[in-house]
Formats: sequence, structure tokens, C-alpha cells
Amino acid sequence: MATQTLTRPVSSSLDSAPPRKSGARMTPGRVAVLAAAALLAVLWLVPFAWATATAFKSETDAAAPKISWIPSSGFTADAFIKVFQDGNIPLWTWNSLYTSAAITVITLAISALVAYALSRIDFRGKKVLMTVIIASIIIPPPVLIIPLFYQMVALHMIDTSWAIILPQVIHPAMVFVLKKFFDQIPRELEEAAVMDGASRMRIFLQVILPLSRPILAAVAIFVFIGAWNNFLWPFIATNDGSVLTLPVGLQTIKSAYGIQYAQNMASALLAALPLILLFLFFQRQIIKGVATTGLAGT
Amino acid sequence: MSSLATSRNSEGQAGPLPGLSRHKLSHQGTPNPIRQRSRGSRDTINGWAFATPFLAFFLVFLVWPLLYGLYMSLTGKSLTGANDSIIGFANYAEALADADMWHSMGNTLYFTVISTVPLVIVALVMAALVNAGLPAQWLWRLSYFAPYLLASTVVSLFFTWMYNPQLGLINDSLARIGLPKVAWLNDPGVAMWAIVIATLWWTVGFNFLLYLAAMQNIPVQHYEAASLDGAGAWRQFFSITLPQLAPTTVMIVLLQILASLKIFDQVYQMTAGGPGGSTRPVVQYIFETGFTGYRLGYSAAISYIFFGLIVAVSVIQFLITRRRSA
Amino acid sequence: MKQFDFFEGRQLSRRGLLSGTAALGSVFAAAALSGCGGNASAAAPRDIQFWHLLSGGDGIKMQDMIGKVNDANPGFRVHPTVLAWGPPYYTKLAMASAGGRPPELAIMHASRVPGYAPGGLIDPWDLGLLAEHGVTAESFAPRIWDKSQHSGQVFSLALDSHPFVMFYNRDVAEKAGLLAGNGQLQEAGSPQEFLSIAREMQKVTQTHGLSFGYLGSGSQMWRLFYTLYRQHGADMELTPGKPMVADNEAAVESLEFMASLFDDTIAAQSGDISTGIAEFARGGSGMLFSGVWELPTFKKANLPVDAATIPTLYGTPAAYADSHSFVLPRQLNVDDAKRRDVYKFVSDILKGSLSWAEAGHIPAYQPVVQSQAYRDLTPQIHYANAADIIAYDPEAWFSGSGSDWQTYFADTVQNVLLGRDKAADGWDAFVRRTNTLLSRPNPV
Repeated sequence: MATQTLTRPVSSSLDSAPPRKSGARMTPGRVAVLAAAALLAVLWLVPFAWATATAFKSETDAAAPKISWIPSSGFTADAFIKVFQDGNIPLWTWNSLYTSAAITVITLAISALVAYALSRIDFRGKKVLMTVIIASIIIPPPVLIIPLFYQMVALHMIDTSWAIILPQVIHPAMVFVLKKFFDQIPRELEEAAVMDGASRMRIFLQVILPLSRPILAAVAIFVFIGAWNNFLWPFIATNDGSVLTLPVGLQTIKSAYGIQYAQNMASALLAALPLILLFLFFQRQIIKGVATTGLAGT
Repeated sequence: MSSLATSRNSEGQAGPLPGLSRHKLSHQGTPNPIRQRSRGSRDTINGWAFATPFLAFFLVFLVWPLLYGLYMSLTGKSLTGANDSIIGFANYAEALADADMWHSMGNTLYFTVISTVPLVIVALVMAALVNAGLPAQWLWRLSYFAPYLLASTVVSLFFTWMYNPQLGLINDSLARIGLPKVAWLNDPGVAMWAIVIATLWWTVGFNFLLYLAAMQNIPVQHYEAASLDGAGAWRQFFSITLPQLAPTTVMIVLLQILASLKIFDQVYQMTAGGPGGSTRPVVQYIFETGFTGYRLGYSAAISYIFFGLIVAVSVIQFLITRRRSA
Repeated sequence: MKQFDFFEGRQLSRRGLLSGTAALGSVFAAAALSGCGGNASAAAPRDIQFWHLLSGGDGIKMQDMIGKVNDANPGFRVHPTVLAWGPPYYTKLAMASAGGRPPELAIMHASRVPGYAPGGLIDPWDLGLLAEHGVTAESFAPRIWDKSQHSGQVFSLALDSHPFVMFYNRDVAEKAGLLAGNGQLQEAGSPQEFLSIAREMQKVTQTHGLSFGYLGSGSQMWRLFYTLYRQHGADMELTPGKPMVADNEAAVESLEFMASLFDDTIAAQSGDISTGIAEFARGGSGMLFSGVWELPTFKKANLPVDAATIPTLYGTPAAYADSHSFVLPRQLNVDDAKRRDVYKFVSDILKGSLSWAEAGHIPAYQPVVQSQAYRDLTPQIHYANAADIIAYDPEAWFSGSGSDWQTYFADTVQNVLLGRDKAADGWDAFVRRTNTLLSRPNPV
């Protein structure tokens, strides 16, 4: 029973609403459920709503002792304009974008390659490699930040995008997720290529990968989101303004602007925007991706 | 862990490809041992070739730092590059006697305990509500899960603003209903709870998804049989849903514990470990000792003690899940 | 499986692999380009990176000053980066210096330099080169010049001294009959006198006599405390390997005096820095203890504000102050041209520091301080004597502005000020904490 629940693909169950239980009328019980869910939803949306309300006020209104949702001098986009003019949000967004993209692409490439080998090729030392990779899932980032920092210093890579990108392409859990998926691809599908004498790489590229689009997408989403939102390591690896990623750059805003609440909220919202937009368009894929890969351990 | 079980299965299947041996058989009648051995060594080369890109990064940016960090913890190395000589286990001895270290460890454990409970229960409640078959599924998923996609800095900005003692929404709402205002991030007794609330808002969506998926996997027949027997919704929830969710709950709890032990971002951003060090988690102490206090060697020692804790918890997790799936 | 539409139709053919590699390549190229610093051609001005922690009004002023110097010097262009005040700034600066790619110029508090200089993270200033630009030892007040040296070399050049002073509302003081003959506030000569002045002011404002917000800010508490402590004529010695040497009686007396202020008549029982400032700025009190950098806030609010050094309540004039000082972070490869640019930039800033005085600070550059233009600035001229009675923080690798040590002060003292702990207990806890720090090996 236990294994059944865990190994059935998560994707199918999150596809649509569960079948309606018998008696689909709006009974008092059902109304209560709806009310409770709505209450929770409202609570959960309040931080966004309050941040938005603040961001669209003037600074005086935002700091006014009497707190209200509607500002006395009306809504204004001043804070956003100031943030764009004075700050570096566009630059940081771009930095986050290309570093996260690079991390995702490299992670996918190297993880898929080794996962394929672990799944399909019988080679000497495979068990050891597998064990080592799985064991490394345990290693928490904080153990590595001190020596990694020192290493980046020695390689003169502090304050470069490489310092952000390179250590983050190692995702042992994703190797394992990909391998599990590859294991489930029926061998017969490769046999035609094998009989043609195709090389391993050919089989990998032309047979396995096309069949793996869903899991590759899921891994890509998970890795991209993780890279985009990563704070600790980029914070340590970079100091200079021009290579900061969004989360780290945002941290410097907090104090540089002093007490400018509307601008702080405007910056926060602009930083939240990319992934939230992505979520609005790809809700289903993102949810499936996160849930599928998240099971393998964060 | 079911993962290891799977890999053992796949190894049995990963031999010479069936197609190829058929090919060889049709030519020669009996498999040629020399051919097979060369096939084997070609496999070995191939296998390692495929593994090399990953291994390169793995060795350079994970294994080497891991080992070098261990070495650093045996020296008194400073951020300025001074004190590079080996001092044995002095750092570890000092760390184990360091009141601040234990204090931050305690903070981390305290946070883990008080955050895990709501993070599991609220997720369960959310999933149960949504699973009851509500309209507008997308709305619930968006509301509960969207925060998970935010960077920690965004969450900290949102909540620091809401926790503002004079201008914050929360204190204002409390005052409107006649309750006293709270110094959320400035009161040592409350600060950790303030962080827990923010963390709950931020990450419960993930557990919610896992629970929802698990619930939707429970065969409908169980519920139908129960209603035929006359069991109401509550009874069904407690007698069918919860027990069926037990393995998911165990997994979520363990994942949550491991994630909570590593906490750093939102604490550093909202309270910087204050007030009075009452929220400083061990990861922040590691960061401070090394980078603010310049003592990289000592900081590395603390990080390895922390690593030991994580390994212990992970081993327990492994044993528990293995026993369950056996 | 059809769910993942955005991968649909993409064949991973050889063509796909090639274009994928091209995409990868361009990603790497973009990363590489961004990783490289600015490539200055021969004609373009040299880029100088400059870090500081001046924000708010100070930040705007500094931005103006930098702009003026940039305009006057087409050969180089200084790019400032503002980082958060406090331990994060110093952590980042140390990490950048250790990492080998720090900014060419940075601002540090003079009180932090002793913790840095021994470790080799900053380079000394070349006095000869400075003299070429008109900056010598005579350009600075004695106490400030002393502070800038370590092991016989000059490691920091002070831009200013920014003491902790007493602002007061002239209108409130007048209504309370507390103005002396020269139109300035009577000077209190003892703690009792000060308390009665505050009470008189409270009768006028009907709220509080004094504003002082300190919640959560060890620095704020330390500044007032250290002023009062040094006014006792007491000193503090922090030597690694030995216990802290301090005048415990003076310390406890200072703390008790501070705690006595927060009785909700003289001053609000608790509040943070911005609450205190806001209260004074809208006339809710007659006096405010604050750093001089808050002056622009009150001028902008059109408050009838004047200022003076914190009255000498215990016999020895003293004013807590620190200096924003220029330092040269250690570079792996010193770019000589850029170094010379930095010297030019710093000397130009010093010469133009009159506008810095408008932000409330006392310029360190003597020619500016002695100029008529500066003497005409009120209320700045009323506390300019602070430069002669500066009390810099006791020297240690862990002390100074924005240090964790000041945060520890908050840990132990905040409850004393809130009335929850006895002053003696709070001070003992702080001393113990400090001794633990002193017993640790000096990492620098």
C-alpha cells in the first residue's frame, strides 16, 4: 500500500478535480467547506494584496500613521517609476535569468547523461558511483559554503557569474529522478536502434531523450525555480552590483533606501513578478514538476 | 527507501542488450566470451564517458570542497589568510564548549519543532478542503501555492512590512479588534513565532500539493463502501483518509524537518538573528563566525558538527521509510 | 504524454543539438561578458569602484559630491555602490578584499580600521602622493589624525567626524524659559539639572521632554552610553587574551541615568530610532539625542532646530563620534593609474566637503572647517567643538560602528533601559560577553 501511493506518477492525480462524491448538492457541509477554503485563500492572498496596495501609494501615504487600504491622495505608480529609475531591478532580473537558464541547461545535460548510464549501461564501478551520488544528497549547502568561498577566491572567480552558476549545477537528487524515469522506458523501444548498431549516444539522443520530455520539463522547472530563488550561495559569492541576482540585489535595497515603504514593496513585487507570471501561464506544469521532483527530496 | 529497491531491479536488467545477443547468436550459435568481455569493457568506457561531465562538476565543486572544508576545520584559518597551520581538533572542542553555538543550535531545533506542526496540519487541512470537490480548483492552487515561488527576500520584505510595530497591517488589525500591539520582530519571546508564521505562509503550498496528490490517489471505493456502511464525512476522514495518508505524512514530516534544520534566509533577512540572538539559527552562526568574525577554520568546524546532525536525521529518515516500505 | 506542451514538436535531432549548443554557447558568452569587468578603451574614462554605506539623506548628498568630482575629472569615473549599514557592510568588504576583487576605494568607520589594518586587508596611504594633492597631517584635527594611523602608517583618511549630539527645539526651549543669553539652550552641568530641563520642556509639549528611540539598535544605545561613560573621565581597554578593563561604577551610573529617562514623562518608555526622530520632528518633544546626520530631516521639516554637544553631566567633556574614512582595500594587482585617480578623487572630495557639512557632519578637512562659509552654518557651528572632544570607540578587532559588539550591547542593555533588568546586571552580562570575545584567538 505504501509503495503504491509513492510510485504512482503524481501527475495523473493532480490533473483535474477529484470525482465528485455522491450528493453534489450544496449541503451545509459543503458550504462550510467552501467558506473555510475561501477564508484560508483570503488569508493567504493578504500579503500580496497589502504589498500591492502599499506599492501604489505615495511615500507619505505609505508611512501615514493611520493605516488604510485606500490612500488619501489616491493611487500612484510613483514608487515603481522611482525603483526603475534609481535601482537595478532590470539588471538583477537579467542576471537571474541567464544564470538560472545556464544552471538549468547544464544541470539537465550532465544529469541526463549520467542518469542514462546508470540506467542502461552496465559498467565497472557503477554501484559505487550510484551510492556516492545518492549519499551526496544528504550534504546540506551550509557545509560547503565556507570551502567553496575559499575555492572561488583562489580561482579568482568571486563576483563573476561563473561563481554563481558552477556550484549550482550539481543536483544528485535530479540524477536519481531521471534515472528512475529512464528505468521505466521499455527496452524494446531502443532495440531497433540497437540492431542498427547505433552508438550509445545516438540511442540516448534519438530514443531516450524524446521520450523523456515530461520528466526533463519537470526537472528543468524545479531546477530553474531553485536557482532563481537561491539566496545563500549567490549572497556569499558576489559583492559587486553588476552580477547580483534578484534575491541578493533585493536584500541590498532594504537598507539603502532607508525608510521608503512604497518603494520597498514596489521592488518586492517586481522581483516576484517573473515567476508568478510564469506560474499563471504554466500552472499545471509547474505544479506537476515541483511535486514530482520534490518527492525525491529537496 | 524505495529508491534503492528500484535500482537493484534495474541492475538485473542492465546486461548485454537482448537485441545484440540475438544478433550474435544468429551468427555464431554460442555467445563468444571474448566478444562479451570486450563488449563489457566498451560498456565500462561508455558508462564512465557518460558520467564524466557530471563527475567533473561533482568532484570539483562538491567533493573537493567537502574534503577541504574538513581540512579547514582542523586549522585556524582566517578570512585574511592568516593562521593557516593545523591545530587538530581544537576548533571542535571550542565549538562544543561554545555557548553561542549551542544557543543557535537550540534556536534551530526550536524553530524546527514549532514550525513542522503547523506546516503539516495546515497543509492537510488545505488539501482536505480542496479535495472535497470545490469549484474553481485553480483559485485554491494559486492562493495556497503561489507563495512557494517567491524568493526568500520577497517574503521577508512582505512580512517585515506587515510586522512593522507602528505602520504594519497586523498590529493595526489587532488594535482594531481591541488586542494589544505586538513588537513582532523586536520581542525575543515573539520573534521566532513571527518567523514561523512567515515561513508557514511561504512554504505550506508544497506540502499542500503532496497531500492533495496523495488524497486523490485514495481509491473512491473505500469511501463508497464506508458511506454504504453509514459513516459520515468526519468519520470517513478520520478512519479512511488519515490512515491512508500516513506514509505521506511521515515523508512530509521528515522532509520538513530536514528543510527546517537548514533555515537561514528569512531569519537573516527579517531579524538578522536578533533580538538578542534569540532567532539566530546555526547556519547564520556559521556564516557570522566565518565571514563577520573572520574565523573560517572555526566556522568550518561548526558546519561539520551541523553536518553530523543532518546525517543523523537523514539516517533516521532512511530507516523509518525503509521499514515502512518493506 | 501531452501535458507538457511547450516541449511539443521539438525533435532532438542533430540540428536540434547544434542549435541547442549554439544557444548554450550564447548563454555562456553572455555570462562571460558579464563576468568580465568593464573593458576601458584608451579614450574612455577609467572606472573606479567605490563602496560606502551612506544611505538616505547622506546617500543623496554623497551622490551629489561624487557627481561634481566626476564632472571635474574626465579622466576617470567613480561608480558608487551603496551597501547596508552595519555588520553586513563590513562582512562584505572583508570578503571582497579577501576575494581579491574589492573596490578601488571604500569608506570605513575610523573605529573599525584597527580591526582591519593588521590583517592586511587595506593598504596604507602614501603621504607623499597625498601632499601633492594638498592633503597633509595639518589638514586634520589632532585626534582625528591620530586615529587614522596604525603602526606608524596612515590607513584611513577621515572625511568627517559625526558625533552624537543633542538637538533641541528653540521654540519649545523659549516657551519653557530655558534659553540663555546667547539664544542657545542653557547648559546642564549635572544629571539633576538635565532632568529638570527635560521636565520643563515636557510641560510645554504636553507629550515628552526628550526623544530617544533605541529599540533594537545596539549602536544607538551605545552612542549615548559611551558619551556619558567617557564624561566620567573613564576609559576602556580591550586587549585580546586579557579581561576587559573598565570603570564599572561609571558604567553602571551611566546606565542607571539612561534608564531613568524612560519614565514616559521625560521620554517615551520605548520606541525605535525612527519613532524618536518622528516625535521630535513634529514638535512632540523639546530635545533629541541623535547623530548629527539627522539634521537635514529637521531642516526639511522646517523645525526651529538648534544643536549642541551633549551637555557635560559628569565633569569631563566628551562626545561619542566616529568618522567616515576613506580606505584602500588590498588589491591583487594594483592598477597604478586607478590608484592615482583615487588619490585625486579623495582630495577633491575633501576640498569640497562643505556640502557634506550641510548634511550635518563636521568636515575633517581643516581648511573647510576654518572657512567663513562653514562658520556661517547654523546649527552646525554650535557643535563643531565636538571634534576636539571626540571619544572614539575602544580599539579591538571586534569593536566599532556597525560591529557585532554593538549588537551584543543591545542584547544585554535593552532590558535595562526597558526597566526589566538592573543596570549592574546588564553591565555584568556585557562585560562577560566581551571577555568571551577577548579570550578567543584574534583572527586578524
